[in-house]
Amino acid sequence: MQIRDLVRRRTPLGWKQLVHSKGRMAIATAGVAFAVLLIFMQLGFMNMLFESAVMIHRQLNADIVLVSSTSRDFASPGTFPRSRLLQAVGVPGVADAEALYVTPRDWIKQSETNRGERAQMLMIGVRPDFAAFRDPEIAAQLPLLVETGTALFDRKTRGNFIPFRQAIERGERPQTELGGRTVTLVGTMQIGSSFGSEGVLIVSDQTFFEFALNRVPSAPSVGLVNVAPDHDAAGVAAAIRARFGTYDDTMVMTMEDFIEHSKGRMRRDSAISFVFTFGTIIGMIVGVVIVLEILSADVHDHLAEYATFKAMGFSNRALLGVVFEQSLILSVAGFVPGLLVSLGLYAVVRSALTMPIAMTVERLVLVFGLAVTMCALSGALAMRRVRKADPADVF
Amino acid sequence: MELSRLSHWYGAGETRRQVLFELDLVIPRGEVVFLMGPSGCGKTTILTLVGGLRSVQQGSVRVAGRELAGANEARLIANRRQCGFIFQAHNLHRSLTARENVRMGLEAQGRGLPPDADERSERMLAVVGLADHANKFQHQLSGGQRQRVAIARALVAEPPLILADEPTAALDRQTGHDVVALLRRVARERGMTVLMVTHDNRVLDFADRLLEMEDGRIVAARPGAAAAAPVNP
Repeated sequence: MQIRDLVRRRTPLGWKQLVHSKGRMAIATAGVAFAVLLIFMQLGFMNMLFESAVMIHRQLNADIVLVSSTSRDFASPGTFPRSRLLQAVGVPGVADAEALYVTPRDWIKQSETNRGERAQMLMIGVRPDFAAFRDPEIAAQLPLLVETGTALFDRKTRGNFIPFRQAIERGERPQTELGGRTVTLVGTMQIGSSFGSEGVLIVSDQTFFEFALNRVPSAPSVGLVNVAPDHDAAGVAAAIRARFGTYDDTMVMTMEDFIEHSKGRMRRDSAISFVFTFGTIIGMIVGVVIVLEILSADVHDHLAEYATFKAMGFSNRALLGVVFEQSLILSVAGFVPGLLVSLGLYAVVRSALTMPIAMTVERLVLVFGLAVTMCALSGALAMRRVRKADPADVF
Repeated sequence: MELSRLSHWYGAGETRRQVLFELDLVIPRGEVVFLMGPSGCGKTTILTLVGGLRSVQQGSVRVAGRELAGANEARLIANRRQCGFIFQAHNLHRSLTARENVRMGLEAQGRGLPPDADERSERMLAVVGLADHANKFQHQLSGGQRQRVAIARALVAEPPLILADEPTAALDRQTGHDVVALLRRVARERGMTVLMVTHDNRVLDFADRLLEMEDGRIVAARPGAAAAAPVNP
């Protein structure tokens, strides 16, 4: 009963006017939807870049990570002394610790469209008898890498590698050039491309040193530490840090911290945030302009009616409420189709670019907030004309 | 309703032009007064001042005991809610049905829609003979019907004062006659005061008093034909 009273308290004039001019409503809705789509894509791409930088992190089988103090992210981790890893093993609560060697290397692509072109791959070297990756598919194939000069190929490498991949999976052991040497592909796995490199090759530590002559076993890139079942990662990480004492060449982070660290570095050091924030602002401006155009035209068309209402005793505020009501309606009406199209495009990007792009609740709420802000801003600008409606003009 | 020594100017500086000259006028409650005269003589200006649509510049306007000279926006709005306006054009809202348009007269009172708004609006539409047209939009109504909806909208909140500006100008002879007859009947039944500007000689029969204006002054006043007729037949 009370809700019914609230609903009935005023005539939904803004709604009635919009419904009455359906063409105008459609254009405004499309405008808002377009702006919402732009913003979703900008924010989606931005987050995708951040997320793609930590996709490998999520694959690593470790609770705690050791990296150089100068480390930027996984793709350019620098190196730290292997002795730190040995120190860490001695800390109570540490179950095991192993080294990972990482470097970008050029190879000659064997994709269908760009066969023979050079491209950068991320080469990861690991001891074949150590379970460095969570994915059981990778774990099962690591023993194949005992033979030097062999590698596991990332199925999600950008480009059309289907025939190449099928050749590997049939056991044909195709070869190509990696860092000036011949590499033999003996299996496939799935990690995914990031903006820095087109894909990942996993090799044994021995193979790694053959392909990367400047690298030595005593200077690993990433240390993977697992804690014993009844220990908490943050506590053990603190204990390892305490063990290192004054040695400040190595950072000790829990896996979650490492993920945040890599994302944070990217956010601060690259132009990505700036570029996509700029794109988001452009999207908002597009929305504001379209909605302002529509609302202004609607106010203009109804100026005589508004003046009449003022003469009848309506306050300015009541009439401003009409424009505000319209802007809220448009923001909701435009948000829904904008969201649906965005979800569709996200799916296309996911399958075409093999990049991790996903809708999050936070982004949903944020963009809805932006859409409402956008429409309210247009409404506020269009309202200025309502004030101009002079009740004395109606006679 | 009382005007005393009311003067009004339009424009500013060199182009400032006086349109009302020290006007005095008293209209007792319940009287139906027609204001006549050539265009530009200040008739409509009086309506806008009495209705609180313009600020009083000099002199005094008292409506139902309330002084409008020097009134702020809030008091002007309060005054507008005491007045029912009928315009030359019907000024109905094209996105609203007849019932919704009439309802706006209740909503204009500033307290939202009363729970019985629809019933009251329909009753008022019945009074003006449009009971069957409540759900029609303005493009589905004839000129006379639109003006009757506008009258229902002006009267629905039962304001003590009706201000009308040439309500018959856009109507044919018979329709105009019917509309003014209706206006007079309803106003009489409810004890409303009516101040109506008109050029229309065909409707003069319905006035208690006729005022002739010229160049911002009231030059003649005579009793209308209706003054002789019994108030409650």
